[in-house]
Amino acid sequence: MTAPTTTGLARELAAAVDELRRVTVRVQASGAAASGAGVLWDPAGDDTRGLVITNAHVATRAQATIRLSDGAVVRARVVARDRKRDLAALELDLDLEPHTAAGFAHVRDAPPLRVGELVIAVGHPGDVSGAATLGIVHTVGGDRAGVTPQWVRADLPLAPGFSGGPLADASGRVIGINTMMHGGLALAVPVTVVESWLRRAQAPAAS
Amino acid sequence: MTALLESLSNELAAAVESGGRAVVAIHARRRIPASGVHWRSGVIVATNHTINRDDNITVTLPDGTNASVSLAGRDPSTDLAVLKLAGQNLATANLRLDPSPSVGEFVIALGRPGPRLTASWGVVSSVAGAWRTWQGAEIDSLLRLDLSIYDGFSGGPLIDATGRVLGINTSGLARGTPVTIPVATVERTVGELLERGAIRRAYLGIGTQPVRVPPSLARRLELTNPVGLLIASVEPGGPADRDGVLLGDVLLELGGAEVSDPTDVLVQLGGDRVGRPIAARVIRGGQVKTLEVTPGERPESRAA
Repeated sequence: MTAPTTTGLARELAAAVDELRRVTVRVQASGAAASGAGVLWDPAGDDTRGLVITNAHVATRAQATIRLSDGAVVRARVVARDRKRDLAALELDLDLEPHTAAGFAHVRDAPPLRVGELVIAVGHPGDVSGAATLGIVHTVGGDRAGVTPQWVRADLPLAPGFSGGPLADASGRVIGINTMMHGGLALAVPVTVVESWLRRAQAPAAS
Repeated sequence: MTALLESLSNELAAAVESGGRAVVAIHARRRIPASGVHWRSGVIVATNHTINRDDNITVTLPDGTNASVSLAGRDPSTDLAVLKLAGQNLATANLRLDPSPSVGEFVIALGRPGPRLTASWGVVSSVAGAWRTWQGAEIDSLLRLDLSIYDGFSGGPLIDATGRVLGINTSGLARGTPVTIPVATVERTVGELLERGAIRRAYLGIGTQPVRVPPSLARRLELTNPVGLLIASVEPGGPADRDGVLLGDVLLELGGAEVSDPTDVLVQLGGDRVGRPIAARVIRGGQVKTLEVTPGERPESRAA
């Protein structure tokens, strides 16, 4: 039998995961035993100054070692950290251009998520690099109407090592930062929360 | 290019949206609400085990508004309950009676444990024939799913990739393991509950347990099946008690059918058996004896 749809889907899924691996890094806080994942983020959108976004519970120290998907290892410094939102931003002392196997994440700001949409997570569980899992959006909307939801909730398995990595839609656009499993569901910090947090974190401090 | 992946994603979201138009939240217990399906116009199907009261039941509709409903009937044996909703313009579920689900088919479990719709996905992992719940109801087919279920999903629908309903999910029939009650069983039960408010079942008022008849006795009595059912309890004043069944009798046949498991007794006790005498072959004092027992109508929450 031939199965053109399934074959095509498998090929597209593999390609989407490869694309996501380019934007996913391994984050190891200095002196910490465990490591997590992170997303190469370009806040200005002009490829000038790169950040790595990860969870605060992954970037537990002021310094961290970042391993890119091509194996290159660089040091990075935590420039913002928020334990309540479980977010951290690290500054990379690196020009990404020669690292063709790495790139900045495409972020999806719109359209809003729909329940049932496919989602893909990439992370580094244990010794495995760039593992992927597939699921769907479990629910959308916050606990109260009109309030930005705190989490993207997905019916998708995450293992330790996925923390800080990307949750992406079927087109490979990042929709959240994977943070934890809770009640059998994957919880990710929505990209809108990451972006507004970054804007506030990078604004000059009021004196 | 991710054209196929995006189409699949869009179609799954569309199936959820379409199926979700008939899914409501049921407020009839403490803590989190459970789910229900607008099955026919004005008729909502929910699970019996998530309805802890007979009055003051409300539902949250897909548009977020609340409405009062009345309990039309409930059946612990299938774990189904039927609620009546008046004066609402709400989409009804699109039911799929045929074809029956196939192993490997994509399925989605929907729930509404509050104002928001929830979904989980997976595949049908096995399809088998009719089975009987511990309270004796016949479920038309056994659907096992490779799918995660979450709080408050009971009463929600299992839908296919086009949003059509394959059955009602419940964690109340198999010790917490999710089970899908197929459309045919729901249709039958809903019809009877709307007509009568309860599912009529016959009962004898006995508790049994399988026992092996000693080989010498089995040979002497020329038994074809060495396993019978020891009458371990007889409800005082119940149908079996009235008709002379004694504690310690070993039941061999009921209505002409061999019994070697308590569910074999349930099979003989359909609603049409109430008040109609049935032959019971038992071993008593080393001899086979045939009694005539007349099943009564089962009070709620009794097994056999």
